[in-house]
Amino acid sequence: MNQLNREQYSQSQKMMIFILAMSLFGLANLFTELLPEFVLGPVELSVSYLAFIPLSLVMLFHPLYAAVGASVGEIIFGDLLLGDFGGLGELEGFIEFTLAMYIAGLLVTNLRNKKQIAIAAIIGIVIDQMLSTIVDIGKVWFGIEEVEAVPGLPESILAIEGISFLTEMIISGVIFGVIPTLYLIPRLYGKIEPLLGIKPREGRVKASMTSWVSVRFVILAVFLTFVGMVAEFMAELDINFAVWEPEFLEQFGEGYIWLPISAAAIIFIVAVSIAVKMMASSNHHKEGKSA
Amino acid sequence: MEFVSRLKKTYNLEWIKLELLKTAFGKKDSYMGRKDPRLIIAWYFIVSLLPWFTFNQTILAGLLLYTTVMSLVSRVSPLIITLLTIGVISELFYIIVLVLLFGGEWAAFSSLITFTMKITIMSIASIAAFASMDPEKLSDALLSFGVPPQFSFAVSYGYRMLPILLDEYQQIILSFRLRGKAPCNGGFFKWRTIYYYSKIVVKAFYPMMLNTAKKTRTTVEALEVKGFTYSLHNKEAKKLKLSHLKVSAQDHRFILLSFGILLVIYAAGKYYPL
Repeated sequence: MNQLNREQYSQSQKMMIFILAMSLFGLANLFTELLPEFVLGPVELSVSYLAFIPLSLVMLFHPLYAAVGASVGEIIFGDLLLGDFGGLGELEGFIEFTLAMYIAGLLVTNLRNKKQIAIAAIIGIVIDQMLSTIVDIGKVWFGIEEVEAVPGLPESILAIEGISFLTEMIISGVIFGVIPTLYLIPRLYGKIEPLLGIKPREGRVKASMTSWVSVRFVILAVFLTFVGMVAEFMAELDINFAVWEPEFLEQFGEGYIWLPISAAAIIFIVAVSIAVKMMASSNHHKEGKSA
Repeated sequence: MEFVSRLKKTYNLEWIKLELLKTAFGKKDSYMGRKDPRLIIAWYFIVSLLPWFTFNQTILAGLLLYTTVMSLVSRVSPLIITLLTIGVISELFYIIVLVLLFGGEWAAFSSLITFTMKITIMSIASIAAFASMDPEKLSDALLSFGVPPQFSFAVSYGYRMLPILLDEYQQIILSFRLRGKAPCNGGFFKWRTIYYYSKIVVKAFYPMMLNTAKKTRTTVEALEVKGFTYSLHNKEAKKLKLSHLKVSAQDHRFILLSFGILLVIYAAGKYYPL
């Protein structure tokens, strides 16, 4: 313990961050699960999560452990203990949310800079919402036979998803995301870390060049996939598929299912490889320090 | 008005707490709950992935019926079923309205119903499998499938800490309310009341975060003293922990029965496609 650099995280400190994020976000999720939803036509006004908790934790501590802890907390408290475990759907949410929060945490370099915190928080929530929109559109696309042959359907799906994206961004993103984060971070910074025996964070966590590049790459990839997905979906409205579609369906037919699964797998592999790279670089760093 | 009364009911923290404790610690002795959890997870994966490989409505209807019967057999609470039904109906309703708005035809509904059935089968299967299962049993099953042991630890931890955390959060909220003053005039749609409570909910997390941090440190230090990290990576310890998972004769019957039912559904789909 003693020869550890104070900026490094020991095994038990990682565990503490994990448990802290898990209990707090889990509790918040229990709470939001029970809040009433206000439904007005297709517009659903509800608090889907109290994003400020994971956002402030990933910024204050090591982003990876805080992000994973928050996602696990959501699954366990919000779903498992309430008897509402979604199985495969949980996996999808876990990947999306962990990735989004991890990136938000990595973006912050100076916790005294409010502008930076606000931007990182918004980017984190945008990534989460974009990923879930992609998955939702993908599900409809692969779940319905000949989407484009049904007039009005692609537009309707886009409209529903667009509206939910917007309301989520306003309620969960700004009202319960950015604003409370800006309130909490200056109060918690330098106060909560000593309780876990951790030195307050300064600068970017493990600011190695490679991880920074990959973060930017992931943001770009998510954004481009989002744009590409929506564009593709809209493009299908005009093109007449009737000529070659039957062959197309016969050829790929039911193999369609592998497209969303492989997309999810790619996202997962990217997330895991980033995580592994981070671990490796931190271990390498540690060895270098102790030697 | 119904919304406001529901809001008042929900904001009663005592009620929330009781409801949660009832759900989390309720007795889970049901048909699905008595099975080997590994088997149930495998069943869930098969049943919820099958619909995505077919567009045959007879098969989908059969699967829907099968999962519904299974969830009824495992005595899922009516609250969860009601919530699910409302969700499915409202989703279907929006899609229909929007399709009509954008100039769609009735022909669209056939494929929409196919899609809604797929989604519904998935959620009913998850309810049938997991709603009646003891969380600790589920986490043991996941552990035996190779999910990181931190997850199963988190389940046990959450299970035990839930009442304490809830109690603490309630105390903080109550003290905020004691010192503050709720608005007398709620304003349009009671927005002032909603704003007041939202502010308390957020602010209460500040002391909550600090307290939990202290508690977390104590927990982790106690765990380390007991050799927790060592046991996480020790094969013998894992084997001992999972030794209670056994496949019984009852489970074999369950496998045979499910296999038979799925075969019947697929045969029906082949010979009588809708």
